[in-house]
Amino acid sequence: MNALAKDLNTLISSNRVRTDPEDLFAYSNDATFYFKKSMPDAVVLPESSEEVAHILKYAFHREIPVTPRGAGSGLSGGCTPVHGGIVIDMKRMRRVLELDRSNMTSEVEAGVVLSNFHRTVEKMGLFYPPDPQSMSVCTIGGNVATRAGGPRGVKYGTTERYVLGLEAVLSDGSIIKCGSKSVKNSAGYDITHLMTGSEGTLGVITKATLRLLSLPAARKTMVVICETTDQAAAIISEIIARGMVPAVLEFLQRGAVGLMNYYISPPLVADAEAYLLLQVDGTAAQVEAESAGIKDFCLQMKVRDVRIIEDEREAGSYWEARSALHPLIMRVFKRIITEDVSVPRNLLPEMVGSLTELSAALGINIGFSGHAGDGNVHPSILFAEVSPEMEEKAKAAVDLIIKKAIDLGGTISGEHGIGIHKSEYLPWQLGDVQIDLMKRIKNSFDPKNIMNPGKIWPEGDELRQ
Amino acid sequence: MRLENYAEALEKCSHCGFCQATCPVYLEDLLETHLTRSRINLIRSALIDKSLPVTRRVKEIINRCLLCTNCTHTCPGGLPCDEIIAAARAELGGKSGSAGAVKKFILRRVLNKRGLAGIMSRVGSTIQKLNIVKAEVPTLAAKPFDSIYSGTISPKGKIRSRVAYFVGCASNYIYPDTGEAVVKVLVHNGVEVIIPQGQVCCGLPAMAEGDLETARNSVSVNMKILAGMQVDAIVTDCTSCGMMLKVKAAKVLPGDDPLQNQVKAVSEKIWEAADYLNTLGLQDQPGPLNERYTYHVPCHRAWAPTIVDSPRHLLSAVSGSELVEMENPGKCCGAGGSFFMENRQLSERIRSHKLEDIAATGAGTVITQCPSCRFYLGVKLKDRKVMHPLFFLAKSYGLV
Repeated sequence: MNALAKDLNTLISSNRVRTDPEDLFAYSNDATFYFKKSMPDAVVLPESSEEVAHILKYAFHREIPVTPRGAGSGLSGGCTPVHGGIVIDMKRMRRVLELDRSNMTSEVEAGVVLSNFHRTVEKMGLFYPPDPQSMSVCTIGGNVATRAGGPRGVKYGTTERYVLGLEAVLSDGSIIKCGSKSVKNSAGYDITHLMTGSEGTLGVITKATLRLLSLPAARKTMVVICETTDQAAAIISEIIARGMVPAVLEFLQRGAVGLMNYYISPPLVADAEAYLLLQVDGTAAQVEAESAGIKDFCLQMKVRDVRIIEDEREAGSYWEARSALHPLIMRVFKRIITEDVSVPRNLLPEMVGSLTELSAALGINIGFSGHAGDGNVHPSILFAEVSPEMEEKAKAAVDLIIKKAIDLGGTISGEHGIGIHKSEYLPWQLGDVQIDLMKRIKNSFDPKNIMNPGKIWPEGDELRQ
Repeated sequence: MRLENYAEALEKCSHCGFCQATCPVYLEDLLETHLTRSRINLIRSALIDKSLPVTRRVKEIINRCLLCTNCTHTCPGGLPCDEIIAAARAELGGKSGSAGAVKKFILRRVLNKRGLAGIMSRVGSTIQKLNIVKAEVPTLAAKPFDSIYSGTISPKGKIRSRVAYFVGCASNYIYPDTGEAVVKVLVHNGVEVIIPQGQVCCGLPAMAEGDLETARNSVSVNMKILAGMQVDAIVTDCTSCGMMLKVKAAKVLPGDDPLQNQVKAVSEKIWEAADYLNTLGLQDQPGPLNERYTYHVPCHRAWAPTIVDSPRHLLSAVSGSELVEMENPGKCCGAGGSFFMENRQLSERIRSHKLEDIAATGAGTVITQCPSCRFYLGVKLKDRKVMHPLFFLAKSYGLV
């Protein structure tokens, strides 16, 4: 046993300290396997905030890098331990500590799996809207750390909107409680929302107090089969212009529907150029009126077909398919690099137009299904073969996609976070002054730079292979 | 099922980690290393790229898998994860452990030879006496199924269809009551049942051990017998035998094996017995049965689309009885064939959740189509009965 393991064993039960190379290997990256792997020196699996505090106090003293980790389903390399050190796997802290019906809040530990939480609150007629598509496995701690979101962002926003308070362990091992259950809060700096989206660089989020809504009484899933991408874009613009806010408004290309048919049952005809997948929610009357309204004007706009999916199992299969879309791509392609740009939603057609041009100009395949309703699109560079030439083209494409999104007044990441994947682009969007400000903020939280170092802005050696 | 043939499939893992949602071992251990994503990664690095050494821990990680196939059916990339793990075990020369030699003996000398009931029961009692396997071990039936039933059993009236009955090892040696129910219920419903002579173990236990040679031998013997039969269907009461015969048999044989045509012909006729009867439809209305039951869906269920719901439909015809669904009926019970014998603590932890879910239903009977689940749950359900859906039906007909 090495010295690190020996020390950690005094802080936390020895079966929850792992230093075998095979275990370290399992913790060497997230869902972005095409980045270089970085092995940690140890993995610990704490079961309480106090244990996290013990570990950080030790790491602070020894100046050992610490990388917090949820489900490792991220798409930005955020939990890859690029400087080694200790990975803190938070998944054993998985209790829902409180469900407060009268205040419509809940306090959870960071390792609670999102879909388990959905089920728990929905049984009580409550609703927690954030829905990153990895929700069957991703943790709420990871969601908070990356400001994660999903299709429901168009109506309900992303995780940050639901975070009322946090418990976090700072780099020196001190435990802070920020925010509160109260609806209003004007007490000092908003540390809660500074920690939210900080990707483990300011401390380890151990608990979150979350705002809940009432579960909508009715929901309806609908599919619009469009003749062209332009037509789909026109419908999205029309929905926005009319002030309609569906719970979900997804744009899907033919190829995406073809893949989703592995799940959609019965399968959807997959020969149209573009599709919109919608969900409307509210009272039964609202849902009835809104779905009928959308259907009417879509038909007036001469789409090929509008289908309202009445059967619950069938509707469920669409959302399961949508959740699986990203990994489904691997059935056909050898690698995917997925970007996460988000633009003001009325400019989405322009963003999509430039992706089409870019794809043709570079001679590469770029898929761009995404959360059309909120302007967040996931351009996916699809590798039929992995070669140095293709890698070069992909890099060029990513550069141009990012630049375009920034030019349109958008952001380089709508919901995935920066991690290592997008760190080189952050200065493009924010400029040196803001990056410097962020570094100074980090320094005051983490003077020894042990908290997930090498993330958000580049330090040099952690960049992609 | 050579690992090198899966090299391309391994590349389909996008590392999304969605397997965390359904891998029973991971959900207990909550350690990334014991998750399919990591096993796949490790197999690629240690056994294909050879960039990591094959250590004891590597073997431990590859062996700490129930082959329940839940990850395979969860994987959006469509990786045959369970086959990759079985192939990796074969590549490593099979799972080994304290019971390795005994298991090999059972797989090769006993399960692959029927009609040797004497040997089988002597082996069984020796295992029990010597306490070789330090776990709950099934007790063998006094008389195996094949010593009671053989040949063709015809219905009294018109023959609606003819089936061959593939009798799994469990129904033959441990639960002949299931076999008896299958025969009686099918015959009662106008199905002629033929019990093919010479059939042996389906080969799945050997495949799971990584003993592909034994698995291939089993497949060869069975396929030669089954392919020639003039029947409408081949039924089995065991979802794992069914999966082996329908899906995995073709995989354990080399792709160019001359037997592949026969394997394909057999595969097209394989049915789980309750699923077959449900699809055929009952000829005779079952009698009433005052029974609250719950239904545990076995993991090896994805090889036919109607397996899962058939028992629900079939037993809804039994008046006076009531199905009380448990939370997540498809959650693994922890048995994993004989996995529980080697991973006692882990299996017991997985099972404990299942037992809680069963208890919460208040049902007195648990229905399942897997004898391994039946045994492993039954050990802890002394005050409840665990049975195949056709046994339940046999009771309602008054046939058993």
